[in-house]
Amino acid sequence: MLFGLLCITFAISHVAPGDPARLAAGPDATPSMVETIRAEYGLDRPLAIQFGQYLHGVLGGDLGRSLRTRETVAADLARYFPNTFELVTGAMLLAVGLGVPLGILSAVYRDTWVDQLTRVVSVSGIAIPAFWLGLMLQLLLALELGILPLGGRLGLMTAPPPPLTHLLFVDALLAGQWRILGDALAHAVLPTVTLCFPALAAIVRVNRAEMLETLKQDYIVNARAQGVSELRIVARYALKNAMIPTLAMIGLRYGWMLGGTVLVETVFDWPGIGLYAVASAVSSDFQPIMGVTLLIGLNFMLANFLVDLAYGWLDPRVRLTGSA
Amino acid sequence: MRMFATAVLAVLVAASPAAAFERLGDRKILVFAGRQEVPTIDPSIKYDWSIRMAQQSLYDALVKYVGNPPEIVPWLAEKWESSPDARTWTFHLAKNARFHNGDPVTAEAVRFSFVRTLKLNQGPAWTLSEFLKDDDIKVLNEHTIQFTLNQSYSPFLSWLPWWYVMNPRPVLANEQGGDLGQKWLTTNAAGSGPFKIKRWEQGVLYELEAVDGYWKGWPSKDHIGGVIYRIVRESAAQRAAVIRGEADIVEGLSSDDFDQVAKMPGIVVPNFPGMTTFGIKMNTQKGVTKDLNLRKAVCYAFDYDALIKIYNGNAVLQTSPFPNATRGYVSVPGIYRQDLGKAKEFLAKSAYPNGGLELEYVYVHGLEEERKMGLVLIDNLQKLNITVKMVPLIWPNMVGRGAKVETSPDMMAVFTTPLTNDPDAVAYQYHKGSFGKYYASHFYTNDAVWGLIDRARTLARWEERAPLYADIQRRIVADAPEIFGMLANRRWAIRDHVKGFVFSPVRFTGEVDLYPLAIVAK
Repeated sequence: MLFGLLCITFAISHVAPGDPARLAAGPDATPSMVETIRAEYGLDRPLAIQFGQYLHGVLGGDLGRSLRTRETVAADLARYFPNTFELVTGAMLLAVGLGVPLGILSAVYRDTWVDQLTRVVSVSGIAIPAFWLGLMLQLLLALELGILPLGGRLGLMTAPPPPLTHLLFVDALLAGQWRILGDALAHAVLPTVTLCFPALAAIVRVNRAEMLETLKQDYIVNARAQGVSELRIVARYALKNAMIPTLAMIGLRYGWMLGGTVLVETVFDWPGIGLYAVASAVSSDFQPIMGVTLLIGLNFMLANFLVDLAYGWLDPRVRLTGSA
Repeated sequence: MRMFATAVLAVLVAASPAAAFERLGDRKILVFAGRQEVPTIDPSIKYDWSIRMAQQSLYDALVKYVGNPPEIVPWLAEKWESSPDARTWTFHLAKNARFHNGDPVTAEAVRFSFVRTLKLNQGPAWTLSEFLKDDDIKVLNEHTIQFTLNQSYSPFLSWLPWWYVMNPRPVLANEQGGDLGQKWLTTNAAGSGPFKIKRWEQGVLYELEAVDGYWKGWPSKDHIGGVIYRIVRESAAQRAAVIRGEADIVEGLSSDDFDQVAKMPGIVVPNFPGMTTFGIKMNTQKGVTKDLNLRKAVCYAFDYDALIKIYNGNAVLQTSPFPNATRGYVSVPGIYRQDLGKAKEFLAKSAYPNGGLELEYVYVHGLEEERKMGLVLIDNLQKLNITVKMVPLIWPNMVGRGAKVETSPDMMAVFTTPLTNDPDAVAYQYHKGSFGKYYASHFYTNDAVWGLIDRARTLARWEERAPLYADIQRRIVADAPEIFGMLANRRWAIRDHVKGFVFSPVRFTGEVDLYPLAIVAK
């Protein structure tokens, strides 16, 4: 699958008009300067050889060099991906933490004000574009009320902790730098909420629908007839079954969000791979684009693998089928 | 619990509104919110406005552009002389100039820097590589250096402000695999400029610290103690940052936003005509726009006042292919202005007297001003029975299209900033030597004009050059290779405690000379 992805990305990148060497050399560059860049980055070789060399490099862990940043793509990804990972993970945890209970409440209290209120939240989450929501939150909470920072990961005068894992929250925790952790949390609130909102809406809708379906099942009716408490029925019997499709959706969404944060990253100046990918694309900088594509593909695979594991945990039949 | 309380307190502190500039001890740190990253600061490799703003702060050159109109003033070189034929240039260095590590700035360091840039053949190399070879740079003594060009070239001095001088010792100490220190100089500096690097968080922020005892001295006792260049990519967020006091200077706001923040207390918006021209280049070698009369008809049909309206009045119309601040600029009599009668007259003389054409207008995707200009074109050319197809492209694709005669569109919207105020910097955009570059997507061809350009650059005496450039400007206008548009004003939103801002049109859009800035807190 990854090989296919690389082939497609390489082909698309190289059929697009625009000369990456010319762009990297600058608008005033002479033909000899463009040739210098072309030779330095191996862009003067036939496409098949370029692709072969790239694949050979990838197998050895070398993702190439960026024409724009002049760094290795691996180093760039190591710098930018942890930021996206923390943002998306935070947003997804928030979306799951709020979305699952809201879905349950909405199903249990169907057609009541609770359900209607939840519906407003979920429809808004799907309908409101993330960048617009981000700008509005920025205007209200940062500009008007001044209770949260406008953007970035840390305050201007806050130096980041020593980069042990390159995950800012984790590094701040490991270093016991509570002030930095607090600063980072404050900066993360608005982008996390903005990114979480569409995912939250989707989780609420799917979870509600699955809960409604599950609550109609015979075994639930039977449990009620036997006098099992409603809380136990919902939390222990219905939720587990309803969570299976929800979980599949969460897995796919998580994988998608890791590659789809560019608007939120732009609005909040969150230095993640979305911004890196866009900046590379507008510079016709192919190797970073392929590096990002590879990384997002891997994320999708990993997210689906984790979802498969979670299926087994939620539904013993999956484990039994697997071992048979 | 105590840890939790500390974290919560930090959240609250981070969330409280910022009080403009930052303080670090007794240093006042200016915050500049810009949209563009600084991917490299290597003076031999690349320049654009954000890169050059950093380079200008970290490095010095032999001479520097200052003021409006731009004037070349001594910097590392305290004086210089050139031979009567403008081939040999000798510079005498200031003896007290020091790199950040304390090493003296010597003629050998200047030679090393020029040779390095020529050898790497990137960044500003193109400006002199045709005239200057490695062996022609001679160190006469520790503080004197001589350049012997392979032909007379008057504009030589005008390029030198962009050739920054590097300290060879740290550069060579950090060389990897014969790269002449390229990798190291991407994020490290080896200069003698007024600032040195304090923090470099790529893609996030760059912090510079003022050099105590800078060899050239500081122009104000209140000079800034440092600069944080923070990347803020959304103009709405930039605007919010300056209003809220989280940034002291922002660039790149929309015309409406600049107008709005200019009325706010505590913010000033300097407003100066720049040197960036906006023109709609027409392909003079292929397609229907090859027809001179058709091009003239288009030029006369265009509503030039609409350009000024698009910028809310903050622009001036071009009256020559040369920006007004260019040396030798003349206002060309009879330059095109909207005149439907003349437009119809020239259309009738063209090979397409009844119109019935479709012209392609290519502009930068997402650039609202250029889109509006396209709408103006649609409206104007409709009267000549010419339709306009608007084609938004991302910049790399536009550059790709404009690089060859065969692919260059009928019309392409182009902003061009000349690097110097010497007329050669603009005139050469109309020379065959510029073919392939985005600003030459017109592929303007006129042997007589090319001859004048070639001759004017070799003359040493300005009195001889000036009339040639006047002639060049008139001839280019007569050939109508583009709709000569306007010069948009350069604007920044600046908190009013920032003093000492000095505008120079020869700097790029957005670029600020940070050296003279001071913060005077109320």
